[in-house]
Amino acid sequence: MMANLEAKSYMTPWQLAIVVFVTCVGAQILLSPRSLIADAEHGAGISVVIGGVLFYSATCLMLVLAKKYPDETIVEYAPRIFGKIGGTLVVIWFNMLFFLQVIQIFYGMGKIITFYMFDRTPPEVVILALLAVCAYCAVQDWGTIMRIQQFMFFVAYSILILVWLTSILNLQPENLLPLWPVNIKAVVGGGLSTWNMYAGYECVLLLMPLVYRQVSLGSLIKIMGASFGCLIVLFLLVIVIIIGVLTVDGAKNLLYPALIVIRSVELPGTFIERLENYLLIAWIPVVFDTLAAMMFFMGEICMRHWRQADHRPWVLFLVPIIYVGSILLDNQQVYEMANKFTMWLGLAFSFIAVPLSLSLSWWQKRKAGTGCG
Amino acid sequence: MAKRKLIGCVALLLLCFLVAGCWDRRELQDRNFVLAVAIDMADDGLKLGIDPKEALKVREEETFVQPDGRKRYRLSLQLLKFSSGEAGKDEAKTYAISNTGESFFEMVRDMLGQSSKSLWFEHLQVIIISEAVLRQTGLAEIVDFFKRDSEMRSRIKVYVTPGTARSLIEYQPPSKEAGGMFLADLIRLHSRNNHIAGARTDLGYTVQYLDLRSNVLLPRIEIADKVVKLGGSAVFKKDKFIGYVDGYAIAGLKFMYGTEESAIVATECPDHPGHQMAFELFRDDTKLIPHVEGDTIYFTVDINMYGNLGEIQGDISQDDTLDPQYIHRLEIAFAEEIKQNVLYADRVFRKEMQVDTISRFAGKLKAYEPETWAKVQDQWDEIYPMIPIIISVNVTIQKVGSHK
Repeated sequence: MMANLEAKSYMTPWQLAIVVFVTCVGAQILLSPRSLIADAEHGAGISVVIGGVLFYSATCLMLVLAKKYPDETIVEYAPRIFGKIGGTLVVIWFNMLFFLQVIQIFYGMGKIITFYMFDRTPPEVVILALLAVCAYCAVQDWGTIMRIQQFMFFVAYSILILVWLTSILNLQPENLLPLWPVNIKAVVGGGLSTWNMYAGYECVLLLMPLVYRQVSLGSLIKIMGASFGCLIVLFLLVIVIIIGVLTVDGAKNLLYPALIVIRSVELPGTFIERLENYLLIAWIPVVFDTLAAMMFFMGEICMRHWRQADHRPWVLFLVPIIYVGSILLDNQQVYEMANKFTMWLGLAFSFIAVPLSLSLSWWQKRKAGTGCG
Repeated sequence: MAKRKLIGCVALLLLCFLVAGCWDRRELQDRNFVLAVAIDMADDGLKLGIDPKEALKVREEETFVQPDGRKRYRLSLQLLKFSSGEAGKDEAKTYAISNTGESFFEMVRDMLGQSSKSLWFEHLQVIIISEAVLRQTGLAEIVDFFKRDSEMRSRIKVYVTPGTARSLIEYQPPSKEAGGMFLADLIRLHSRNNHIAGARTDLGYTVQYLDLRSNVLLPRIEIADKVVKLGGSAVFKKDKFIGYVDGYAIAGLKFMYGTEESAIVATECPDHPGHQMAFELFRDDTKLIPHVEGDTIYFTVDINMYGNLGEIQGDISQDDTLDPQYIHRLEIAFAEEIKQNVLYADRVFRKEMQVDTISRFAGKLKAYEPETWAKVQDQWDEIYPMIPIIISVNVTIQKVGSHK
């Protein structure tokens, strides 16, 4: 029998950095800016930087935690840290983060595509189609998914950024002023709310066993810093251009300000018009790779938790649940409520569950060491 | 195993029916391209001063039963003709249909009763609103339908006309272009015609300014005896129409805001009264800066212009355009003319209309003096006309053309 060449037993740290980048950048670049700008106003750019630093710190903590348990993922070591029930709860919590993000992304994507591209198609059908494609990708082994992510990183992102940069033509630097003073409380709050943009970095807790042999923890932290640096630059580019083109007050009134920004671009002397369609065409693969990776992670978590050898049945099992979940978010208010809930759940996971795990694991190891001595 | 494969194949085939994209299929030949929209009062024909032949009256066969509200507006659409007609015949490229009612969306849908194909707004070029409508309704109410619909583009041109808007979309340009395209293109070179307020007056910017509760400017368009002319501007305080300004005021405003890219400044020659000369602007460096000293707010406008001497009328043998002294005298004369133009615009907009157009002064204060802005923003409308403005203009003639 031929070996499964796509079943990966290792990956390089730079591959992990690309996976983190690609998983983090998804639908939220179009879905999140309005609420962030409404909260942080002219300080939204500073919020993006604060968020980047904050979630990079959370990722570093996760890497430190994961390094303590080589060859294991959080699914295996959480029960040892928190006990069987506590560990199961942490694993459910961890999986819920991916699930809640995935259903929100499907909902948002369905809305945007049906409004701007296929106005007669029901969003449920768009979601179904995309779900089928993402599920097909998620049932592959990690090697395939990783290659797709690497391909998207170089192809889809360069197109997306290139199209997005055309909106600089309409940028009015004065709209970005005043840079100071800013409402510090709102900016810090905005920094926390950027979790929705950066979310996805939690995948390092699952992928660390594939990487740790290749590199020291210090180097991995540095490489991950490059990934977060790129994320900060990309998100800054989105937020700064939106404010520069629409102003803070203008952006607040629009459901998807990024699309209005790109829609206003007129390339003089060319036949290219309605650039939002080009942006959406580049955005769909970006969202696809985020969704496929997250669905794979969900299947992988279930597989490891139930000690099975194959993640595929779990992905297929989750497909109808994801579909129903995304359909249940049937209006903007419910979506925003779910968004806020997920954000707090994610923040609590990163800044309570992970540090607590780390402290408990130190304590347990020290206790074990004392016992031996 | 074979059974599972079969089920998988059937499931994939069934999925094709859902995701093949036929849902949104709209063939090109099944669309009626709307190129221009005209918005009038439904009963404009009842107004005095309008030619009865051109009067707009609610016609039963054009409209629909409306249980609530009244037949308030007339919406006219200019549609592109697909058939080219017989060879050699001088046929129009477009035709117009109209309807009366209160909701624009309802009127559009009811107009499908007059159109054999679906009405397609993706190529809409221009929206023309009659002054009569704007005298009764805020601009925000009128553009709401257009800003919401996903078919509309941000760069659709928006004009205001003192007459009936429908007569403009019925106009057939002598160049044989489609009317909507012709009307939209009139503003395309606004940066070279300083009598037209063309920058930031399209649908996207208009909606943006309305959202920001800024004062809006929209180009004025008029038709008389088959002559269509774009010039001057309709002025709005927030979304309320308050009147028109002429092209000279618009030129002054553009000089003040630095939004012109090229302009012609004509004035009398200082050495030969009665003879005109013209300066062609190539490049300008304009700075509108707010200053706050204690409780006093004032603005400075520093205009530096560089360009070409484009025309000197009169006896040129008496003048030496290579003489720096002579050129300097001309520069001073042009600078004085530009200053007078800016002062005129300032008087019209600030003193008479009391309108901070597109909230440029408020925006500068907010951007550069945010603490002062926080204190005065609620009283800005009262404070603005009282604020001193110091204007300085400097003109540099870099070239004199190909003749001495």
